[in-house]
Amino acid sequence: MTLADYLPIALMLILGVGFAAVMMLASWRLGPNRPTPEKLAPYECGIVPLQEPVERFPVKFYIVAMLFVIFDVELIFLFAWAVRFDQFGWAGIGAMAIFVALLIETLVYVWKRGALDWNVASRERYRRVVAPDAEVAPREAA
Amino acid sequence: MNVDYHALAPEIILGITVLAVLVVDLLRIPKYWTAVIGLVGLFAAFVPVLTLGFCESLDFCTEPETAQRVLFGGSFVVDTFSLVLKGLFLGATAVALLLSVGYIEEDRYWQGEFYFLMLCSALGAVVLASSRDLVTLFVALELVTGPTFLMAGWRKGDPRSNEAALKYFIIGVLSAAILLFGMSLVYGYTGELTFGGIRAATAALGDSALLTIGVILTLLGFAFKVSAVPFHFWTPDTYQGAPIPVTAYLSVVSKTAGFVGLLTLSYQAFAELRDVWGPLLWILAALSMTVGNLIAVRQDDIVRLLGYSSIAQGGFILVPFGAAVAGNVTGDQLEQAFFATVTYLLIYAVMNMGAFAVVIAGANRLKSTLIADWGGLSSYAPGLAGLLALFFASLAGIPPIAGWFAKLVMFSSVLGVDSGWATALAVIAVLNSVVAFYYYAKVIKSAWFDQVPDTIPAAELRGMGRAVAPSLQFALVLTAVGVLVLGIFPNLIADVGDVAKTVAAGF
Repeated sequence: MTLADYLPIALMLILGVGFAAVMMLASWRLGPNRPTPEKLAPYECGIVPLQEPVERFPVKFYIVAMLFVIFDVELIFLFAWAVRFDQFGWAGIGAMAIFVALLIETLVYVWKRGALDWNVASRERYRRVVAPDAEVAPREAA
Repeated sequence: MNVDYHALAPEIILGITVLAVLVVDLLRIPKYWTAVIGLVGLFAAFVPVLTLGFCESLDFCTEPETAQRVLFGGSFVVDTFSLVLKGLFLGATAVALLLSVGYIEEDRYWQGEFYFLMLCSALGAVVLASSRDLVTLFVALELVTGPTFLMAGWRKGDPRSNEAALKYFIIGVLSAAILLFGMSLVYGYTGELTFGGIRAATAALGDSALLTIGVILTLLGFAFKVSAVPFHFWTPDTYQGAPIPVTAYLSVVSKTAGFVGLLTLSYQAFAELRDVWGPLLWILAALSMTVGNLIAVRQDDIVRLLGYSSIAQGGFILVPFGAAVAGNVTGDQLEQAFFATVTYLLIYAVMNMGAFAVVIAGANRLKSTLIADWGGLSSYAPGLAGLLALFFASLAGIPPIAGWFAKLVMFSSVLGVDSGWATALAVIAVLNSVVAFYYYAKVIKSAWFDQVPDTIPAAELRGMGRAVAPSLQFALVLTAVGVLVLGIFPNLIADVGDVAKTVAAGF
């Protein structure tokens, strides 16, 4: 591999950086700029932001994000398999069944453990194991 | 695709066990069933290890044409070496599970996932023993270490346990990064992933700086795992902060997994690069022994002492690798070194598990791991004090207990090599054995000859040896018998190791 072989990679890099730079430059120079307080507010799915971003983020979000990634990846494998499943025969179906069964077991586990349950503090198990001494607010107050 | 399911049976059985444990934990049945199923699964996985090992004398077993069963294009090999280590991993995990049953469940933070994680890690170790390519090796190693991060931090509310997990996690990730970087360089240079392919490619292509760096980084990644000095900083804190059964598991299964990686990489993948890894591992062995032992002398906490002791023992296990430092070393001598390492690993697993079992049994009642608080243990718990003396004497290498045989083969493997460097390493090992003897004997002396401290209510503790949980008693008996039998009949282990070396070393 000589240095010349890296030329396509270098071109790709230059093109990528250049494209982004040109776009940003163009929208800055060419676009009309008339700011209003509404336009300058941070975008939060169309809802008016009520407070500064909180420091502590519920850990639940990470679990849901991880679950999403896991099943997303499952989909990728399933898709590649589904395109050619008739050629893999029963062995292929068996293998995929095992793979999906593993993921279903994971989902059942996560579900039963309450990872999909949003109101953690009121859960019986949480009170017993994680924070036996914690003051738990009654449900209606929460 | 034609798959030899017999060769994969231990992994498949263990995998099914892992899944079963996870489901059982969700059902509304007593939680101890998770441990029972885990144990049954470990023993069930041991059966195919035996049938594979004694294939020639079994009717239903179809013999492979060669001495090893090669699966998945050489990535997964079942030979006697891997079977011996699979047996070790399964046995050691079973003992660690027995240790955990009483300890973890009496703890405030008990949750059923503990056994799931431990079995996952054991599955990784069992796969690791067979992996013969870089990717399989890496995935298996991560499967060994991943769950142990969580196990080390099991006591969620305990800052020490958190510190243990965090340090272990950061070092684990760092070592994985170094390992991967080294592996990528090796792959980049040779274009091969399987160990056989790498060996052939390095023989054909010759040496280069790039390859040397790749090999060194790969081996250093494993040096973290086996906590060789100077990559040992995480070990004492993690060992002390983690729940003691987890420490036992880390110091035996996780550490042995690291050594298996070192063994297969050094003697198979990098077999032609002895002048690279020979000196490197020579230095690591000398440093680990010396630093580990010297710091262990000053410890007053028994778990921390065992932590430094395991660093030093890791140094002793590395000594046979140092034989390769000699330029004129023969194939026979390398086989001898390989045999010495495998033998030491087997004996170390038994005696270290035993030592931790004693510590758990004692710490459970005494509520202290300070050596001073163990003073006069023999006056109120003679059985436990006897076992403590047995295991610590074995670690020190006193005949006729197993530890001496491990040391014997370790010394003979380097002394047999006609080289000043190899002899120097043997001398360092001898000096360190003397230092090690001092601190192991200190613990025995404390338990047998010191007065009971005032803070310990000896009268209440009388007969505490009999009050030990049955699972822990079983583990103690098992390891004690193991240490004695292997010490008195070392031929048993010599036979096992002998077969392993002829198949695996391939010089």
